[in-house]
Amino acid sequence: MPTIIACFKWVIDEAYIRRGFSGDLDFSSVDYKISDYDRNAIEEAVRLKGSHGGSVIAMTVGTPEATKGVKDALSRGPDQACFIADADFNKLEPSQTAAILADVIRSRIVNYDLILCGEGSSDLYAQQVGARLAEHLEIPCISFVQKVDIDGGQVVAERRVEEGIEIVAAPLPALVTVLPEINVPRIPGVKDTLTASKKPVMTIRKGDLAPLGGARLQTVGMTAARMDRICEKFGTEAAEITRFVDALRKKAVIS
Amino acid sequence: MDFKLTEEQELIRKNMREFAEKYVDPIAVEIDENSRHPAELFQKLAEGDWLGMPIPVEYGGAGADYLTHVIAVEELSRSCASTGFTVSIHVGIAAMLILLFGNEQQKQKYLIPLAKGQNLGAFVLTEPGAGTDIMAATTTAVLDGNDYVLNGTKTFTSNGPTGGTYLVFAWTDKAAGRKGMSAFIIPRDTPGMKAGEHFNKMGLRSSQTSEMVFKDCRTPRENLLGKEGAGLAMAMTGFDHGRTGIAAQSVGILQAALDESIRYSKERVQFGAPIARQQAISWMIADMATDLAAARFLTYHAAWLKDQQQPFSKEASMAKLFASEAAMRHTIKAVQIQGGYGYCKGAKVERLMRDAKITEIYEGTSEAQRMIISGNVLR
Ligand SMILES: Cc1cc2nc3c(=O)[nH]c(=O)nc-3n(C[C@H](O)[C@H](O)[C@H](O)COP(=O)(O)OP(=O)(O)OC[C@H]3O[C@@H](n4cnc5c(N)ncnc54)[C@H](O)[C@@H]3O)c2cc1C
Repeated sequence: MPTIIACFKWVIDEAYIRRGFSGDLDFSSVDYKISDYDRNAIEEAVRLKGSHGGSVIAMTVGTPEATKGVKDALSRGPDQACFIADADFNKLEPSQTAAILADVIRSRIVNYDLILCGEGSSDLYAQQVGARLAEHLEIPCISFVQKVDIDGGQVVAERRVEEGIEIVAAPLPALVTVLPEINVPRIPGVKDTLTASKKPVMTIRKGDLAPLGGARLQTVGMTAARMDRICEKFGTEAAEITRFVDALRKKAVIS
Repeated sequence: MDFKLTEEQELIRKNMREFAEKYVDPIAVEIDENSRHPAELFQKLAEGDWLGMPIPVEYGGAGADYLTHVIAVEELSRSCASTGFTVSIHVGIAAMLILLFGNEQQKQKYLIPLAKGQNLGAFVLTEPGAGTDIMAATTTAVLDGNDYVLNGTKTFTSNGPTGGTYLVFAWTDKAAGRKGMSAFIIPRDTPGMKAGEHFNKMGLRSSQTSEMVFKDCRTPRENLLGKEGAGLAMAMTGFDHGRTGIAAQSVGILQAALDESIRYSKERVQFGAPIARQQAISWMIADMATDLAAARFLTYHAAWLKDQQQPFSKEASMAKLFASEAAMRHTIKAVQIQGGYGYCKGAKVERLMRDAKITEIYEGTSEAQRMIISGNVLR
């Protein structure tokens, strides 16, 4: 029976980010959430457990305040959580997150069969962690997955690629990054939330890990996207309609 | 002093918000317009344990505290005040009274199905001639062999047409005054008990309200809740819980009014600028936000006292009085902010304003709350 690891990131819920009058971003009253596609990863792990048995470990790297995120994840069905926490982990880069996850999985999770990650996170959407983690662990990685199942010793997945759908298989252990189409994440019930904190949580600190590589990215600035409204009036005569269609074409609204 | 909710309470609020956006918002206009009870929605609420929140797990509930229940009622009411209220009266009063005063057998038979949401609870007290003046009630229950026989007419029973378990209040000894009323648990389809037509109301339209007529309705002695003569005292305990729920419903309505007012006033341009830039409008919104914060604190405090097992009767009345009047005051402003558009069907504020009115009336009118509060502080 498979041991499945579902990785998730506890991110700022973008719905709470406000736009200041001067175009700056106001983070003063934000709340956090499990990154959207990671909810799909957790849901899929729990679904696979439902049909194949085994167990699900929810794993996250974050700041110590992310305990709420750990409970949120556990309320969605995993059996236990692995919480890699440090106050310095608030601005990790994808390469660092992947290295930390790899370190923990290699050293502490003896036998795992499948790792599920969201295709990208709601905040950065760099799509790096899954692929890098697989590379560190030297296991196959299947990305853009909209359907997945375990069949004997292998994972079979449907990838949504530009030209259509690609069906691939890989030997276990393997890593799969999922798209939101893969399932509809549950809304945990009251009891699920209240019993989440009774599930086991393995907490790992920075000091328990191999030294972390330095940061490679530099944030130069951050501003809100600007939306300019353009108001142009068109008449109803044939010439005006042609002009209207032309305007839409120039703006690439139609082709 | 600690104003912080627990992580569980915060998560449950978020889950309820998501639930309401997904399942309630899309039907809120339709169930209001058609005055329809959304049975399919209540099925979903039951699956998420939302209909038995503050009832212990061993009795079919979720084992949450009362504050958690109140937060969920608030979030639900933010989307649909009728649905929030139905949950509140079902579990906050009906199931709660069986939990507090029922014997083990009654809990097994009636509380578990209620907490699991298999049927809805109703609280049957008001009569055509006895609203605020509950002592003017005339419904009687006479012991005959091993049965009580009930006769009389009740009115304004929420969940009347759709309920499964009714807590009915009737005189067993009228002469004994405040110690002469008793409460009975009567299941649906008991011969002699009949729900009337669903009332056509100004607001709270999807909550089902009707008369309940009792004509030689026999109910076995084992369905007496608590002691004979303890009915009125139990009803008052029910109101303490229920009023905290109505306060939460009002807070939800008020939050929705504020959400709508902020959104609309930033979008609507008149005289070349969003109307939110006009002080006349922005001050309305400032007052709304301030009263919302005050109402919410009063409400959470009442629920918190209940969870600390301290008396919370006065606080529940204060929370209910303040929150309901604030909801009414500010939903009128929310319509004002949206001008003619706010006056039309389809505008959320129009529904909020109609729904807000009931919070000043049921479970004790504002006048009744002032009587209770003044009686308490002038003692
Ligand atoms: C939608 C809806 C749902 C309801 N659900 C339920 C339910 O589930 N179960 C249930 O038992 N009841 C229910 N009720 C009944 C509700 O609690 C009563 O309507 C309420 O208690 C007021 O009673 P009344 O309507 O008879 O008004 P009255 O008591 O006739 O009051 C009329 C007016 O006089 C005022 N007034 C009365 N006496 C005094 C006084 N002494 N001093 C000053 N002012 C006074 C009142 O405040 C009010 O303004 C519901 C009512 C409605 C409308």
